[in-house]
Amino acid sequence: MPDAVNRDEILLLARNAGLDLPAAYADQLVAAYADVSRMVANLPRRQGHADEPAHVFNPTAFLPGKA
Amino acid sequence: MDTATKLDVLTVAEAARLIAARKLSPVELTNAYLNRIAELDEQLNSFVTVTSDRARAEARAAEAEIAASGARSKLHGIPYCLKDIYDTAGIRTTAMSKLLADNVPARDAAVQTKLAEAGGILLGKNATWEFAHGGPSWDILFPPARNPWNTAYSPAGSSSGSAAAVAAGLAPATFGSDTGGSIRGPAAACGIAGLKPTYGLVSRRGVIPNCFSHDHAGPLAWTVEDIAILMQVIAGHDPEDPGSLDVPIPDFTAALIGDVRGLVIGVPWRWLEQDLPLKPATRAAFDAALDVFRGLGAELRDVSLPPIQQYEDVKKTIAVVELFTIHGQDLRERPELFGDCLRYRIIAGGLVRAEDYVRAMRHRSVLARAMQSVMATVDVLMLPTAEPAGKLEPVDPSSLFNRPSFTTAFNVSGNPALSVCSGFAENGMPFSLQIVGRVLDDATVLRVGDAYEKATPWRKRRPA
Repeated sequence: MPDAVNRDEILLLARNAGLDLPAAYADQLVAAYADVSRMVANLPRRQGHADEPAHVFNPTAFLPGKA
Repeated sequence: MDTATKLDVLTVAEAARLIAARKLSPVELTNAYLNRIAELDEQLNSFVTVTSDRARAEARAAEAEIAASGARSKLHGIPYCLKDIYDTAGIRTTAMSKLLADNVPARDAAVQTKLAEAGGILLGKNATWEFAHGGPSWDILFPPARNPWNTAYSPAGSSSGSAAAVAAGLAPATFGSDTGGSIRGPAAACGIAGLKPTYGLVSRRGVIPNCFSHDHAGPLAWTVEDIAILMQVIAGHDPEDPGSLDVPIPDFTAALIGDVRGLVIGVPWRWLEQDLPLKPATRAAFDAALDVFRGLGAELRDVSLPPIQQYEDVKKTIAVVELFTIHGQDLRERPELFGDCLRYRIIAGGLVRAEDYVRAMRHRSVLARAMQSVMATVDVLMLPTAEPAGKLEPVDPSSLFNRPSFTTAFNVSGNPALSVCSGFAENGMPFSLQIVGRVLDDATVLRVGDAYEKATPWRKRRPA
């Protein structure tokens, strides 16, 4: 997530995500965005090129009769 | 049996033995619980739906079948309940949300199918936080559940009603879900046993999702022995759950040998002393629990894990995005139907970049690997599940993001983790002990928890 954004920028990001919120919820979004940004900022920025994410695609899970 | 007061404190194991010996009628047992729910649940709000007529019909059928041909399983004729996020065909399933106020599934969740096949008696659906994530809330479909040890206190969440119902003797067994601690936290707050199984060991099919990559379904009961019985019924591969593991299922009850001599117990002391320091009374209760295991012949060892905050940040970044993918369209079209707490906890998920979600998933691999490396050096980890329950009152919804827990790391890593009661604070609220095992070694977790319960007096005390 961008490191420093102001309220208007957050609301623009929300509109880009299809969230055109009433004013009351916009305040909530701005506060929640700050919480989520802090979390995301703590994630490691430098990861190895081949570091795989924890979710992997298992083609056998999608054979007929399965999920 | 002679009195109803004895029936509502029977464990699943005790009731199963009595039913098998034809000394207890499933109809009598079911009626005892239904009467107790009618008498007490107004104070606890642990149920959102009570399926009285269906339960009585199932109990009559079980009684006739057992009389004719014996019990199908240890659960045959035993009542149980489901958190109100488990789909139940023909029975309203709301997730406590106004969004699902009229939702009546056409098909049972996989766990419910297994429970019905085992001959269990569905008593009803238990209160949860909204969609198992936002709570406690007073602006959603039903009021929050209360803690039977003191109704002014919280039963924690999100399987709040599931834990409260067991602790209050309104049901001998319930089934909840755990995405960051939602089985273990309520079990801890209510002084009962609750297991988050290994990820993929119990099907999530038909359980309304919180966060796909971290959701676990699992049992809550008064004793670990009961948890073992319930796991025997619900564990197993489900081809309709993409996360389901196709592995042999052990005999969980056979693992309860009452002996932990020689087992190596790891304690992540840095988490407990620096990352999230315990309150003095909780530390004393934990030290006393460790002393019990020393006395039983186990070896204790300090272990070092990555900082607890890293597990929190990874899980919650992933969760807020997955939650948004589930609820985004409702947030766009009818945000007013969400409770304030849940809306706050998911609304920013739509603004997290794809890169950040994948970055969190990549770091999850690192953290899971670190956990499994440590687990390879010990048989189990031990730590408290949580501090004792606090008052039931509105919380700042941002607390979810800003307050680490002792439970979430094991959702990130997928290891089995059990909460058991480990005593009582001065105000009467329960202390808790969390026992974490190697992936797919749920049986050892249960063995250790059962040995602890049998070596301590905590199962003899019930809420007034």
